[in-house]
Amino acid sequence: MGVVAAAMPVRPRRRLTGIQSPAENRGPFRPGHPLETNLSARCLAVIPARDEVLTVAGVVAGVRAAVGCDVLVVDDASTDGTGRAARQAGATVLQLPIGLGAWGASQAGIRYAVRHGYAAVLTLDADGQHLPESLPSLFAAQQRSGANVVIGTCLERLSTAKRIAWRYLRALTGLRLRDFTSGLRLYDEESMRTLAGPEASLLDYQDVGVLMLLASQGMRIVETETPMKPREIGHSRVFASWAVVARYMFNTTVLCISRLDRGHRVATLAATVKS
Amino acid sequence: MLNAQITAAILGIALGGAILYLVRRDHLHGPFAAWWLVVAVATLALGVFPALVIWLGDLTGIRYAPVLPIIIALSFILLRLLKLDIDRSRQERQVRRLTQKLAILERELDTLRGNGTPQGSSGTRTDGVDAD
Repeated sequence: MGVVAAAMPVRPRRRLTGIQSPAENRGPFRPGHPLETNLSARCLAVIPARDEVLTVAGVVAGVRAAVGCDVLVVDDASTDGTGRAARQAGATVLQLPIGLGAWGASQAGIRYAVRHGYAAVLTLDADGQHLPESLPSLFAAQQRSGANVVIGTCLERLSTAKRIAWRYLRALTGLRLRDFTSGLRLYDEESMRTLAGPEASLLDYQDVGVLMLLASQGMRIVETETPMKPREIGHSRVFASWAVVARYMFNTTVLCISRLDRGHRVATLAATVKS
Repeated sequence: MLNAQITAAILGIALGGAILYLVRRDHLHGPFAAWWLVVAVATLALGVFPALVIWLGDLTGIRYAPVLPIIIALSFILLRLLKLDIDRSRQERQVRRLTQKLAILERELDTLRGNGTPQGSSGTRTDGVDAD
C-alpha cells in the first residue's frame, strides 16, 4: 500500500474535505441551536447522477454559485464519463461500482456527509430540472419552520395521472404532502442520521418509503414551492412507462400497508410552508 | 418392477449421498447442507416406512393418506423459497451498503493520497493501482 502511494505522482491538493475524527464529526450544530442560521455553509449538496454527462457540470456550477457549499456528485455507475465531468466542474465524486438507483446513490452521499460531519444535506437531480436560484429558499423555509426535512415542490409539473397517484398515496400513507417524488430536498443532521442507517438501504426510491421512515422517527417534514424547469434531457425514472408505474404503485402500496401505523401516527406533523 | 419402498430408499440415499458429496467438494455451505440432509432423511423414512404416512394421515385427519407426503413436500418447498427471498433481501441490503462504503472509502483514500482526481472513472482504469 505504502509503496503504491509513494509511487503515485504528487498532484496539487485541490480541496481539503479532510477525513475527520469521530470527535470532530459532532460539530456545534444541534437542531434548534442558534448556529442553525448558518446552515448553508456547512451543508453538502448531494447530486445522484447516472449518465447525465451533458447536464451535470452545469448543475454543479449552479449549486456552487447559488449556495457556495461543497458539492458531492454520486456517480451511479455511469458509463458516459459523468464522474469526470462532475470532477472537472469542481465537485467531489463518489464512484459507485454497482448501480444502486437514485435513492441508493443519494444514501451513499448522505452517509458520506454524516461521516464527514456536515450539518445538512441538500439533494437535487443531476438533469438540471431544479433551478439553482431556488435553492436558498429551501434554507429559508428550514429556518422559518425549524423542520427536519424541507421538500422543494413544484406543482405545475404534476400531470393528471400524477395528481391521482399522489391523492391515492396521501390517503394511503396519511402523509400530508403534495409531491412525494421530488428529488429537491434539504435534510438536517437528525434526518441524515435516520436515513444513513441500514433500515433505509432496502428502499428503492426516495419517496414514500423514505418519507414514512422519517415520519416514523418523529421528523418534521415541510414543503416549499419552488419553480422548476422541464427536464432538458432524460426522463423521470419513476414515470417512465405504464408498466413501470403499475409496478411502482403496487410495490408502494404493499410497503404502505405493511407500515400503516408509521405514517398515520405522525400525519399532523407534516405541514406546508408557503414561500 | 421395483418395490415402492426400495424406490424411496434409493431416492433418499442418493439425495443424502449427493449432499455429502457437494459439501465435500465445497459447493454447499454448512447450514444449507444440514437442511438438505434432513430432507433426504425424511424421504427415506417416509418411503421405507409407509405406515408412518398412514399414521400421520390419521393424526391430521387427512382421509387420503398418500397425498400427505406431497402436501408436506410442497409446504416445505414454499417455506424454503420464502426463506430464500428473506436471505436475498438481507444480502441485497448488505451489498448496497458495502457498495456505498466502498465508494466512500475509495474517495477518502484518494483524498489521503493528496490526489484530487482519482484514477478510476466510469470503468476506464488505466493505472493499475486497483489491480493489486
